[in-house]
Amino acid sequence: MRGDAPPVLPLGEAAWTVVLGDTVDPELHRQVTGLAERIRAANLPTVIEIVPAYAAVTVFFDPLAGDPNVLREELAELAATSTDRPTAQPPALPSPARLLTIPVRYDGPDLAQVARETGLSGAEVTRRHAAPEYRVYLLGFAPGFAYLGDLDPALVLPRRTTPRTRVPAGTVAIGGAQTGVYPFTTPGGWHLIGSTSLTMFNPAREPAALLRVGDRVRFEPAG
Amino acid sequence: MIEVVKAPPFATVQDLGWRTGRAMGLPPGGAMHQTLLEEANLLVGNPPGFAGLEWALGPGALRFLADATVCVLRDAAVRVEGEVQPTAALCLEAGATLEVVPRGQDRFLYLAVRGGIDVPPVMGSRSTYLPGALGGHEGRRLRSGDRLPIGVAPKPALQSYASTGAASGAAGALVLRVTRGPQWERFDAAARSAFFQGQYTVAPASDRMGYRLHGPAVRARETATLPSEAACPGAVQIPDGGEPIVLMPDGPTVGGYPKVVVIIRADLGELAQCQPGRLVRFREVSLEEARAISG
Repeated sequence: MRGDAPPVLPLGEAAWTVVLGDTVDPELHRQVTGLAERIRAANLPTVIEIVPAYAAVTVFFDPLAGDPNVLREELAELAATSTDRPTAQPPALPSPARLLTIPVRYDGPDLAQVARETGLSGAEVTRRHAAPEYRVYLLGFAPGFAYLGDLDPALVLPRRTTPRTRVPAGTVAIGGAQTGVYPFTTPGGWHLIGSTSLTMFNPAREPAALLRVGDRVRFEPAG
Repeated sequence: MIEVVKAPPFATVQDLGWRTGRAMGLPPGGAMHQTLLEEANLLVGNPPGFAGLEWALGPGALRFLADATVCVLRDAAVRVEGEVQPTAALCLEAGATLEVVPRGQDRFLYLAVRGGIDVPPVMGSRSTYLPGALGGHEGRRLRSGDRLPIGVAPKPALQSYASTGAASGAAGALVLRVTRGPQWERFDAAARSAFFQGQYTVAPASDRMGYRLHGPAVRARETATLPSEAACPGAVQIPDGGEPIVLMPDGPTVGGYPKVVVIIRADLGELAQCQPGRLVRFREVSLEEARAISG
């Protein structure tokens, strides 16, 4: 998509989505977080919230506070700047990506099955899960649920054919090329390999979510 | 203070939800029919965004431990101490018992009380978000025996407000106005025509997170999902099976299904009110029209 102006598409009356690509890829995601940061730094008056995702940034705004089409043009300009001229301006990054460590007890009910299906030992599944430095691509599914990638290719499995109706809060799981921690007790279709004592989402905390998009994350085997 | 004498099958405390939080996966939440809650608030002299009760699926009874002004919208039979009340807005004496029986045309009733339901705000809203068991009254639906504090009304009372009154007629299909969604271009002329010519029924599998619709399948050019991106209440997602799912206030903040259109904010509450089996259809409007209607 480089060279073309990224499209700015409507998501209803009160949001624009700037599309930078259509893949899941760390380099594309760096462009996404860079654009989100630029939009934040531009301090545009009608903007309520900026939601970076894998390949797009969505900007929610108050349609009564100003002309939405002016905002659309401003977003298009910021997007063109970040993709066409990557070196023309240094990316605005006042908050460098944080590195967080999540302690994990690898005691999940699916660990043995993951080992069987990947042909690895349980210890090797644990080692490969705890080895990489992950990137927070996206928050969603539930408040504070962070999609972390990229998983070691040897651990990539399709989701469970029958999702569980109840996955306890704090469960560490893998699904597709991703891993994450369930912040609440919810239904879930991923493979449960461990648990953490960290609180991923706490409404009384500021910010409530432990992780944010762009953070770097490591898992550390514990107890 | 309000005492829940007999809890309705499904009632929660709701206001207009969270203004921000999507970036951390918190949906906007709040009342399923926001303008109806606003209207009920205005009728009791509250600012429009005060917390009230969202009430569904059956009758219940509340006792007011102090004098109170309340309003119940829309399609409900309301009795005080057993006597049928002719108006939506009522002045109750301390100790009075209010019974509310949904008549069934509206899926959600809204009960506002002067001063608002004064549960502690969580992240700036008093709304109940059931999947996260947070907000509202202990993060859950009401049970018999619960006690709900009533807040302080602003003085002087706001001017009373002319109600739009009647529930939408049950005859014929409800027309929902939509704007083109971000993945509109993924749907060819035949798919768009199937969508706009077709009538859909609201499926029983519909809740505060999303409404499923049965009707003509809509196929995208490519069946592959896209990398998840932000969604919003009113977004009409088309999964691979082709039957639309409309995201509602507690729905996921992100998703990978293509969003063919988005229902305008002014019409989403009327979809929320549809009982299972109700017929709906769609009509396209421009973004400018949508904003003029909602503004």
